[in-house]
Amino acid sequence: MDAFNNLGLGFSVAFEPMNLLFVFVGVVIGTAIGVLPGLGPTATIALLLPITYTMDATSAVIMLAGIYYGSMYGGTITSVLLRIPGEAASVVTTFDGYQMTKQGRAGPALGISAIGSFIGGTVAIIGLTFLAPLLAQVAVAVGPASYVAIMVLGLFLVTSLGTGSTMKSLCMAAIGLLLSTVGQDPITGTARFTFGIPSLLGGFDFVAIAMGLFGVGQLLHSLERTEKAQAITTKIKNIWPSRKDFRDSSGAIARGSLLGFVIGVLPGGGGVISSLASYALEKRRAKDPSRFGKGAIEGVAGPETANNASSTSAFIPLLILGIPSNVVLAMLYGALLLQGITPGPSLIEDRPDIFWGVIASMYIGNVMLVILNIPLIGIFIQMLRVRTGILATFALMVVMVGVYSINNNPFDMWVVLIFGVFGWIMIKTGFDPGPLVLAFILGPILERSFRQSMLISDGSFGIFVTDPISATIFGALAVSLTYSFISRRRRVKAAQTLSRVSVDAK
Amino acid sequence: MSEDTLEAVQVAEPAPFATAGRYQGRFRLVPVVLLATGFAAVIGSWRLGLGELTNPGPGLWPLVVSIAVSIAAAILTVIPDIEAYEKWTRRTTLLVGGVLSLVVFILLFTALGFVVPAFLLLLLWLRVFGEESWRLALTLAGGGTAVFYVGFAVLLGVPFPDDIVAGTITRLIGM
Repeated sequence: MDAFNNLGLGFSVAFEPMNLLFVFVGVVIGTAIGVLPGLGPTATIALLLPITYTMDATSAVIMLAGIYYGSMYGGTITSVLLRIPGEAASVVTTFDGYQMTKQGRAGPALGISAIGSFIGGTVAIIGLTFLAPLLAQVAVAVGPASYVAIMVLGLFLVTSLGTGSTMKSLCMAAIGLLLSTVGQDPITGTARFTFGIPSLLGGFDFVAIAMGLFGVGQLLHSLERTEKAQAITTKIKNIWPSRKDFRDSSGAIARGSLLGFVIGVLPGGGGVISSLASYALEKRRAKDPSRFGKGAIEGVAGPETANNASSTSAFIPLLILGIPSNVVLAMLYGALLLQGITPGPSLIEDRPDIFWGVIASMYIGNVMLVILNIPLIGIFIQMLRVRTGILATFALMVVMVGVYSINNNPFDMWVVLIFGVFGWIMIKTGFDPGPLVLAFILGPILERSFRQSMLISDGSFGIFVTDPISATIFGALAVSLTYSFISRRRRVKAAQTLSRVSVDAK
Repeated sequence: MSEDTLEAVQVAEPAPFATAGRYQGRFRLVPVVLLATGFAAVIGSWRLGLGELTNPGPGLWPLVVSIAVSIAAAILTVIPDIEAYEKWTRRTTLLVGGVLSLVVFILLFTALGFVVPAFLLLLLWLRVFGEESWRLALTLAGGGTAVFYVGFAVLLGVPFPDDIVAGTITRLIGM
């Protein structure tokens, strides 16, 4: 079978000693930053971009992917032990995970999360292995109008389902698109918004923006909080769940794997949405929903499984369509561009070594993560003692030296510092830098697809209605926007009536 | 911890400014700046030349995008979203000093090379923002500078500007 030949090629790449080392480095860093305060996967990948620049393309992507799915495992640890979610997708895990810790069941909570994550991750990689070649054949036929629709949908979902305010996120996405227009026009070559500065002709550097907004901005912000290191007093025992625990959570893990996989493939999917959806599903299916929030093991197993499955299947739109569906994957997309590789439908044909090597490395990475997260979990818990001040200071030095080393030019240090201050102000005023960076990456692809659509359709917007994919997406968007507008108005009206009633009652 | 998480945690807490009506202007500051940027970009795009829909000029796409920026910023100016705003604390003022120290670092870096400014920056940050003891701060700053210098300049071969300390040491050994 073809898939097995492909996987064979993939494993021959992934088992090269250097690549094995980088999978390992990636998943260890991923688990560690999931535990450490102040650094998330996005910031970490931003910090490491200049270093990956010097690496072989396959190794670089293998390592960065490892950081991404590794952080999904690591983020669980602090959610369960301290009720501090290590990354956004683990917020749901705090509901029942921390309750289990209070009942002295921290061990099984962490154990079932690691096992669920492994199963969810592996199911998604198997899905990726068999579906990717089929989808790539379909993807070649996807026209520019559909691309426009998919990207618009992705941006809408990221802005509306994110944690911040929707309007602020939309505003940031628009600013990201605007920043991406700086530089030469891709067709006519005219300089746009360069203000006569020659080094802006090539546009803003993605690395500088990402390192500034996520790296420096996030570090400045984390230094502002005077949190002291948390002492772990919980003893972790019986990390291997009992037979009853397995019986209770097997259904949740199976459902979480499927649900996570499907949600991850959608634009804007991956992470938070899938874990929330899985929690809601388990609670609805439970015979006794009141157990949820009081230490139900299914409430930990399902969401943890789903978030790992979705963060893996989110690689499908990235590797096959060339559209990153969330901010972390946008960073990976940037890393690939730095290496001179444009992800898209032809990647699987042009660079099978990268495509299958990365997929095969995920099988290996997940096995490593189970070992790191079950027998070796004690080591990572010790990392909670590292103080934010020390970590942030050294990370800052990595940013400064790292950005200098890209072009050996102090000018880049200034750019990073300026974007860092912007990033800090954005966090302080509640503007999420995530949509900005995602839109900055999508901007050039979106503009190209838009202009191609206009050329094909002879300047008519009708193409977005006649193209079936785009018609479906824009139709669904219009319906959901109308629906949310109406339901919001209804809620406002209801609230007004309610306050009038209460005023009258006085 | 990722930025999303921090925000999610803050949303869960009651917004500290929700009741402070007289500070409303504060929340409009960023949207107004963004709105001005949007308007400037609309004019800039117009000047670039829009072309035709069948044959778009360089300004057409930027115009679409800058209109989007203006609309979103205008909505935020009229109805400011005050939820996730954070308080300006004493530590915030301290951090402005931190940013200035980075400015000094970059200036010194171009003039004196890596070793001296790196040591000073690490020391300052560990002592002031990390609130570590002098002893630990000095040790970590000294060790950290050495590790960074060896890692980047020696192992990775990054050409730092001429270094007064490392340069002197190399000359002394060379003599």
